[in-house]
Amino acid sequence: MQSPFELDRRAFLAMLAAAAPVGSAYAQGTPRKGGILKVSAASNPSSLDPTTGGAGSDHIFLYTMFDTLVAFDYATLQPIPGLAESWTYDDPLTLTLNIRPGVVFHDGTPCDAAAVKENLDRNRFDERSNVKPDLSTVADVAVTGPLQLVLKLKQPDTALPLILSDRAGMMSSPTAFKALGRGHDRAPVGAGPWKFVSWADNERVIVTRHDRYWRAGMPFLDGVEFQVIPEVNTGLRSVIAGQNDFVYFLSPQQKQIIDRAKNLTAVTGPTLYCVQFYINTARGPMGDVRVRQALNHAVDREEFNRATMNGLSEPATLTLPSAHWAFDKQMAQAYPYDPDKARKLLAEAGFKDGLDIQALGYTDQRHVQRQEVLIEQYRKVGIRLKFTNGTIPEMTNAFFVEKKGDIYLSAWTGRPDPSLTYQLMFGAGSFYNASRTEAVPEIGPALLETRRSQDLAGRQKAFAALQKIITENALVVPLVFQFEMDAHGQKVKGYKPNLLGKPKFENVWLEG
Amino acid sequence: MILLRHGRMIRRRAFQIVPVIILATFVVFGLLQLVPGDIAVTLAGENATDARIQQIRQSYGLDRPFLVQYGTWLWNAVHLDLSRSYLSNEPVLGQILHRFPTSLLIVGGALSLSLLIGIPLGVLAATKSGSKLDTAVTSFASLGVALPNFWLAMILVATFALSWNWFPATGSVALAKDPAKALLHAALPAIALAAGGVAEVARQLRSALIEILSSQYVRTLHAKGLSPMAILWKHGLKNVSVTLLTVIGLLVNRLLGATVVVEAVFAIPGMGSLIVHAAIHKDFPVVQGVVLSMVVIVISLNLLIDLLYTLLDPRVGLK
Repeated sequence: MQSPFELDRRAFLAMLAAAAPVGSAYAQGTPRKGGILKVSAASNPSSLDPTTGGAGSDHIFLYTMFDTLVAFDYATLQPIPGLAESWTYDDPLTLTLNIRPGVVFHDGTPCDAAAVKENLDRNRFDERSNVKPDLSTVADVAVTGPLQLVLKLKQPDTALPLILSDRAGMMSSPTAFKALGRGHDRAPVGAGPWKFVSWADNERVIVTRHDRYWRAGMPFLDGVEFQVIPEVNTGLRSVIAGQNDFVYFLSPQQKQIIDRAKNLTAVTGPTLYCVQFYINTARGPMGDVRVRQALNHAVDREEFNRATMNGLSEPATLTLPSAHWAFDKQMAQAYPYDPDKARKLLAEAGFKDGLDIQALGYTDQRHVQRQEVLIEQYRKVGIRLKFTNGTIPEMTNAFFVEKKGDIYLSAWTGRPDPSLTYQLMFGAGSFYNASRTEAVPEIGPALLETRRSQDLAGRQKAFAALQKIITENALVVPLVFQFEMDAHGQKVKGYKPNLLGKPKFENVWLEG
Repeated sequence: MILLRHGRMIRRRAFQIVPVIILATFVVFGLLQLVPGDIAVTLAGENATDARIQQIRQSYGLDRPFLVQYGTWLWNAVHLDLSRSYLSNEPVLGQILHRFPTSLLIVGGALSLSLLIGIPLGVLAATKSGSKLDTAVTSFASLGVALPNFWLAMILVATFALSWNWFPATGSVALAKDPAKALLHAALPAIALAAGGVAEVARQLRSALIEILSSQYVRTLHAKGLSPMAILWKHGLKNVSVTLLTVIGLLVNRLLGATVVVEAVFAIPGMGSLIVHAAIHKDFPVVQGVVLSMVVIVISLNLLIDLLYTLLDPRVGLK
């Protein structure tokens, strides 16, 4: 069956789109080879093996060392060729991948179909694999040629190409992971633009050029050196002082500091990072759709954006930002700020005199500020938020494991394919669905449909139907999509943000 | 010589260290259990499922009873195996040995500054008691005690690192790798830490010295015609040295604790940042390892100071 993921006209256009960042990079001057990019990293990697790691912030390190089978367009997150130069759905249960010729891992092992199969099987079966759920629809992987393999699926799953643009598609050298075992966590061997040199825990990660990288003439940089600085203010100071060249995951409030520093450039762009209230629909009043709808109507997202994000983010009513290919304009209008309607809905639900809600949140200054704004906004409609605060690990455990709190002010970092986002937040049994049940039975079939459609238009339609169910049932309170906020020195050229919000340095070069 | 003379005292202290270590690590372990959060959730990552979290708990032994977990750690520790970090899988002992010199350099620098500045100030203030100089030193000392370390650290960074570029704003360099760079990196954090230390040393020394200089035997020495300088050096400072040692002992303990904040401001990978990161994520082998090493350091330091007391004042001797 013909699919949009074959290297046809659309794929060709997608490849052009992939080249866009490079084109834009050239617009900043002539790229030159050489130099080490020094990056202030916001956290220590959980592991440098994409299969065994778990933190979303690992990707910034992983992208330097690992190429993915499928890449994504920076602006829209549409899938584009990566280590797999093309892919086709021969039928809804058969996905064929054609691997790019001439790719070798950092240790010289060829990245062919056999190597890809070993990676996918490891991801599916290894005891320490954290990406098993991503590949749960794959029944079998068969090598059908030196550079071709066929994935037999248990159920239709057109989300797989974009899933393979994430951890599950990051290819490691089978020679290395078999020889090193657990040691591959700390001495990874991929096929990305740079190869691993060293990792001093909570201190520094260093990578250097992969001379046999498959993209001709790339990468520009001789290497990347990450200095782990968890405190972003300190990270920004290190760039102002010229000790580092680049810092990411800054807050919108830091934009003023960047602008004041004459030697810095601010980079900002939309991301999937959605600040939101998770709702446990299994807890008391949260089971009433009218209460959840009231929560959505009572919040003034524009004001929240101005007060807590310096107006530098995108107010959110859906779980996808407007730049995303699956964004549905119609449903985005579902919850305008309407305190009267919120009060009416609460009264209909039996809470005429208001309602006390137990909320969980974080202790840091930025989150407390968000809480203060929300407490005041909700107070106006009679909802009294009572926050219990702690660290991220504490509160994540409290809400999703111990089932404490009605709502949880946190964020969703996004996934390359939106079906994963919806599955993980609203699917039955999912960890990030505190109730562990589908709030309404229509979710399951709608989720399956998003993975069944064979073309992008079909998938957009399926996501619109799913978003309608989620939105009408108010299963979440999206607040804002936090924009990526980075800062770099003047000599850094060619950097472009991406919608996933996780910086990639593949097209960066250093001037002078 | 001193070890031979005071062997009994050292042995007694060495035995005391055992219950203190057990108590300290047990209390910390218990507190970690009480704090909400589960490292298995962190390790399961963004794709966490209930089954995967349970699998991690089992594989790390987190589902075993509290006392069994603690007992296993203690048994391994007795055999000099501080286990591995849950988060990084790195040996805890290796992490401590890698980071301790960094913290030690900062604490050592801060202590040296505290003594080099604090002692002359304290002596000056005591010998000119009631003068404008005394008032100035006392005011300076009060300010030093009142200034929060983190605030001073930020002011130092803004001025000397960001505006004037005299010192690096963040990071550290190993002393063995490049001594000059290591000292340059440690300078601002050491100054930020030393502010309180200078004040403490100056104040304590001043009050102790004033008391001694106004005592009857010093008056007798004056009457016998000894020069003020000789009285100060031979009788005044020798008598306040025990007080000074006590202050140094307390100061080192305080400085070790204060590195937590200063290391965060300067992004220094030392012991402070190690324990903070581990405690937030409930990486208990690392927390236990750091607590154990701190207890050993503090007790050893106190023992050393006790031994020095006996050298400076034989009356303390073998009581």
